[in-house]
Amino acid sequence: MSRGEVWFDALRAGALPLANLPPSVRAADGTIGVHPARLVAVVPDAQNRFARARSGELGIDEGLAIARAVDEAPGAVLAIVDVPGQAFGLREEMIGIHRALAAALDAYARKRRAGHTVLALVVGRAISGAFLAHGLQASWIGALNDPGIEVHVMSEPSVARVTRMTREEITRIAQIVPATARDIERFASLGAIDELFAIADPNDPSAQELARVRAALAAALDDPAVAARTPRSRLDAPAAVVTRALSREVRARLRASWDG
Amino acid sequence: MIETLEIVNQGGAPIARRAHIGVVASGNCELLIEPTSEPFATVRIRTSVRGYEDAWRAVVARFFERHPIAARIEIDDFGATPAVVALRLEQAIEDAT
Amino acid sequence: MITRTSFAELDARERVRLLLDPGTFRELIDPFERVRSPYLAEQNVVAQSDDGVVVGRGTIGGTSAVIVATDGRYLGGSIGEIGGAKIAGALECAADACARGVLTRAAIVFDTGGIRLQEANLGILAIAEICDAIVALRAYTPVVAVIAGRIGVYGGMGIAASLCSAAIMTEGARWGLNGPDVVEEEAGLAELDARDRPLVWRATGGRRRHAQGQAETLVLDDVDAIRIALHALAAREPHAHRIAPELSIDPGLDLPAFDRALRERYG
Repeated sequence: MSRGEVWFDALRAGALPLANLPPSVRAADGTIGVHPARLVAVVPDAQNRFARARSGELGIDEGLAIARAVDEAPGAVLAIVDVPGQAFGLREEMIGIHRALAAALDAYARKRRAGHTVLALVVGRAISGAFLAHGLQASWIGALNDPGIEVHVMSEPSVARVTRMTREEITRIAQIVPATARDIERFASLGAIDELFAIADPNDPSAQELARVRAALAAALDDPAVAARTPRSRLDAPAAVVTRALSREVRARLRASWDG
Repeated sequence: MIETLEIVNQGGAPIARRAHIGVVASGNCELLIEPTSEPFATVRIRTSVRGYEDAWRAVVARFFERHPIAARIEIDDFGATPAVVALRLEQAIEDAT
Repeated sequence: MITRTSFAELDARERVRLLLDPGTFRELIDPFERVRSPYLAEQNVVAQSDDGVVVGRGTIGGTSAVIVATDGRYLGGSIGEIGGAKIAGALECAADACARGVLTRAAIVFDTGGIRLQEANLGILAIAEICDAIVALRAYTPVVAVIAGRIGVYGGMGIAASLCSAAIMTEGARWGLNGPDVVEEEAGLAELDARDRPLVWRATGGRRRHAQGQAETLVLDDVDAIRIALHALAAREPHAHRIAPELSIDPGLDLPAFDRALRERYG
């Protein structure tokens, strides 16, 4: 079982998965604390009709299925994030995978803007367009503090090809520019992670560890300040005030000169 | 690493207005020129191609021979040839006077 | 005599200036403010003084407007921290103005390969903010995507463009998620030969996107044609939005038929 599936099963706590979705997208109406919440995860499907989306990637069907599951959610939504990336294929590009991922992203953003809290829990890889469409529109993002977590925008071989840097250079740069690193701690240093959880074995969380994660999710759902957030609110996180000072300064300058 | 060069040229007439030319793209450069209250011209060059200080000094010197101005100039370079740099400087002075 | 001015050959600043009403362009955070990326020098890349993004205020058909544009010539029009914040911040300001009752028209001129790899996760966070800002703003006024540059739009910005209320494309522009080089690197040469330019354009070019209904308007690479199309779309009433209505999972795409057509057409 993929990590996404492990955590989906653990957190749904017996709630029945919805039936009308492709096998690669799992959703269930569970309970977190006192709150009903729809859990949504993407999992590998060896039989996926799109060959490039068989390892848990976000493809055409996945993007559209997430959009439908989120749109039809009765209240809060929890995105369980373990996505190795988007599906890379000519077929996907021709059909328009950008649109399918946009449909998922749009559903999360509209759900949040309609007043429903959207949470994300990063339990595995959170990569590029897939993370953008499934996770990054959340009002609150938690993550396992684990070396198996990867957050980045492109695989190392592709980065090497596009930037013409060697693997050694890419590793060296990651030490100097934390935004180019791939580990969760340096991603958290950008102010985008609300809580990190130490879990001994992320493939088999203990009851105590699960209870801690559930309590944090419930606290986020309880908090009206979380419900009022947008992605831009991440700029107010204590870490972001330092590491994203330029993002804040640019906005201040725009506001100051907007009306001439 | 990026190399930064500073060249100062004595004396000259003020320019009328600031101007912005070019782009930081391969074989090209971006140039900002602004009026200054100082009685001389400064040129600050940032380039990703190291080791061409003499060539930069030569192209800048030729420019100031033709246009003895007082101004603050910044060049952000991505491997522009001396001919391209000379062209950008001429375009900038045309817009700035 | 009819003369055409190529939009694709213009730089980002000229594109914004010419799409706004004549004489109304005013740039915010212009190159002389020198808000430059501090992350590039270590990576042997020279920072451009506008970080490759132009934010222009002015009017569209006499109504207050903002147009933002990425500069495809600088690092592939890629989105780093500053450029990303300029786009998100401008759209946020426009939505704030609309909320105060000052209708503000909006357009984004996309010419970008997506996230700037040298700033990686700062880019993806910025694009998440850009996407949310588009969703917020388009409730007040259409946010129009103009995809008419040499690069087109890929990556996270390809997703952002899909969130816009309408898109204008030229035949020479492309719109997708994964650029051809990345598809080839990730999926292999058998999946796609990135050097096969005719195939890349047939697969993701403006003609196809228009035929699919993804791009509202297909126009000539001509400044006047694009401005006229933009002013018409930007002045429409905001409408309830459904992303990607042309795609559907249920009953679903007929993939075998799609693949047969693919083979017939492209060997």
